[in-house]
Order: sequence, then C-alpha cells, then structure tokens
Amino acid sequence: MSTWDRTWDDRQPIYQQLADLLAAQLLDGDPSEGAAMPSVRALASQYLLNPLTVNRALQALSDTGLLENRRGLGLFVTAGARERLRAAERDRFLQTEWPRLRERLRRLGIGIEQLNWEQPA
Amino acid sequence: MSADRQEAALVEAQNLSISYGRKRAVDDISFSIPKGRVVGLLGHNGAGKTTLMRALVGLAQPQGELRVLGLNPLQARVALLQSACYIPDVATLPRWARVEELVTLMSGIHPRFSADRARTLLKRTSVGLRDKVKSLSKGMVVQAHLALIASIDARLMILDEPTLGLDVLSRKAFYEMLIDEWCDGERSVLISTHQVEEIETLLSDVLMLNEGKLVLNISLEDMDRRFVALSHDASVADEMAAAHPLLKYRVQGGSASLFDGEPPAHVQALGRRVRPSLVDLFVALTRKPELDRQHF
Repeated sequence: MSTWDRTWDDRQPIYQQLADLLAAQLLDGDPSEGAAMPSVRALASQYLLNPLTVNRALQALSDTGLLENRRGLGLFVTAGARERLRAAERDRFLQTEWPRLRERLRRLGIGIEQLNWEQPA
Repeated sequence: MSADRQEAALVEAQNLSISYGRKRAVDDISFSIPKGRVVGLLGHNGAGKTTLMRALVGLAQPQGELRVLGLNPLQARVALLQSACYIPDVATLPRWARVEELVTLMSGIHPRFSADRARTLLKRTSVGLRDKVKSLSKGMVVQAHLALIASIDARLMILDEPTLGLDVLSRKAFYEMLIDEWCDGERSVLISTHQVEEIETLLSDVLMLNEGKLVLNISLEDMDRRFVALSHDASVADEMAAAHPLLKYRVQGGSASLFDGEPPAHVQALGRRVRPSLVDLFVALTRKPELDRQHF
C-alpha cells in the first residue's frame, strides 16, 4: 500500500489495522497499564497517517475499554488492559487458530508426545 | 468533504473556471476545504492542478465564485497571504543565501512569521543555520523551505508537488514534519503529488482533476464506503466484467474489479471485498479516453 517502512494491507480499513497494531503493543506492555498513550500527532507522524485515522484507531481502542480518557490529560492505558487483551487473544487462538493447527497436526500424524514443549536453550 | 460544513470553510469554490486564452485549464469545478484537513490534489500533468493552486493564492484569474479564508484572492492577495502560505512547483531558495539569512529575511517581510519557530523546526532537519543554500542537497532545501513556511502562523498551506525529485527518505522526512508541525486539527493543507500511493494514508480528502474537470471530491472515509473492490479468481472475470466495473486490475494472486457503489449480491459473492486503493481509483477516473481500449 505504501513505500514507507510499514505496509498496510487491503483487507481492512487502515484505522482498524493501526488499532490492531497498537493493541499488540499494549499486550507487550508498550505502553504499560496506567501509562499515557503517545499523542495523536506523534502517532500520525510515526506511522505517516492522517491524524483523523489515528483518532479513529484510538477511539476503537477506547470503545473496547483498553484506553481511557482522563480529562485534560489525554488517553491512558486502563488497568487490566493487558489481561483483557490476553484473554481475547487466547479466545481467538482457541476459536480460530487451534482448530486449523489441530487439523494440520492430525494430517501430519504428529502426536502430543512428539511436540517439544521446552524452549530451545 | 461534506462533514463540518457548519463552520466556514477555508476554501470555498463554486463553478470555478480558469482559462488561458481559449484553453480551459480548470472547468466549472465546485469544492470546499474545511479546517483540519489534509487534501490531496491529484491529476496527470496538465490536468489543472497548478492553475487551480495559483488561483487560490490570487495568481490566476478565475471565473465563478472563489473564497479563500473568506477573501477574494485576486482582490485581497496581501491580506490572504498573511494566513495562507504556498510553495509553488517552481519554488527555489536563493542559492547564495545562508539559512539564517533566510530566517532574518522572512522575519522582515512576513508579519506572522516566527523566527524562533523556524529555528526550532530547522533543528529537526539536518540543515544548519550557517549552511548556504547552494551547499544543501535537494531534499534538504525542500525541508528548509517547509520549515520556513510552516513558521508562518497561517491556516492554509498550499504545496504544489513539494516532494518532486526527492529520494524516499527525504520524502518521508518531509511528510513527518508536515504532520507533526502543521496538522493540528485547525490548519489545512492542500497538496499535489504524483506519488499517489505513498500519500494515500496521509490524506483526509482527495480532489481529483482530469482535463480540468473535478472527477472526484471525497473524504477517504467515504471513499472506502462508496467504492467497492472485489478480488476474485480469473475464472469469474467474465461475470465481473458483465457487472461493469470502473476498472479491472491485477492483484497479488489474481484479479480485482473496482465498482462505484455496491455491485449486485451475486457478483459480490464471486469475490472477496478488499479496500479500494486511491491509485486504482486514480487510474480508473483519469484515464485518457484513447487509452480505454488498450486497458481492456
């Protein structure tokens, strides 16, 4: 979609893609709970997006309760945001990714005992 | 650009035409630019972009109704330029000057220019105050130019192909500064470019000119709603074509068709809906008629 460092795909509106990207960062603790979100302008110039698009993305995150507006101070990450995101991600994995993965494991004949659960050193 | 019309728009054009001799460079167009917008002015060479921009700052005589910041640009050019700034496509900075001399010069000639702000903005760039213009790369000159005019306390900025001839990093730096230092939700900018793809996500609205006519005047938000792009398998190409798309094009792993409005449900069922891109719309709406047959 763009020749800048980040490419947006054509499946979803850009604000939604930015909201997903910011949510993934929140899940990694960036910014952490209770901390302030970067300003609309900072995000707009970082991702080279129109500020209205950034506003919509932040609005979407606020609507799902991940961000809260502190009057006069701007948007902050709500307490419990990470846990909520993790729960949603877990749901998504179990609902959509796991059935596909299970199907593939079955097709390949891979049983649970063949899977290495330890991280390589 | 239908939203926030309650407030007076920064630019208001009604049935605007601009002619050079017998040639109509801009042909009966109407549009408005509210505050807080980033408006892309797109069109092929000779479509009328530069002529329109010149009229907005009182350098070309239009017919029809034109108000910029509530003023008639031809009659109130000096007052207008207090609150509107413009980088023309042929802009140059004097090669012999040092950057700090330009800051001093601007302080002397523009009542709403802030030298402090200019120095702050220049610090963002790799341009030094002691540098001579002739020692700067093309990208640095354009950055310096933007820093200077963004230091005017204006409400409307008009940029005619500001990034023409710049490499990708310079273009990126230019747009970063524009967004960060200019777009505050109040001021608007009208910007023309041929790099449609890379500017798409920066825009709030688009004005598209084709041979002087305004063929598209829409916010990016409405564009996503009005135009429908379907990516589909080559095997259903005939069914797609029968529904009269604006444009057929190739996408990764297949074909796509672009429609103005919702195509019939049985057609939609044949493809997967994707976000229409501005560059595809640009191709669809500004094709030269003689190219039509080659495309299909």
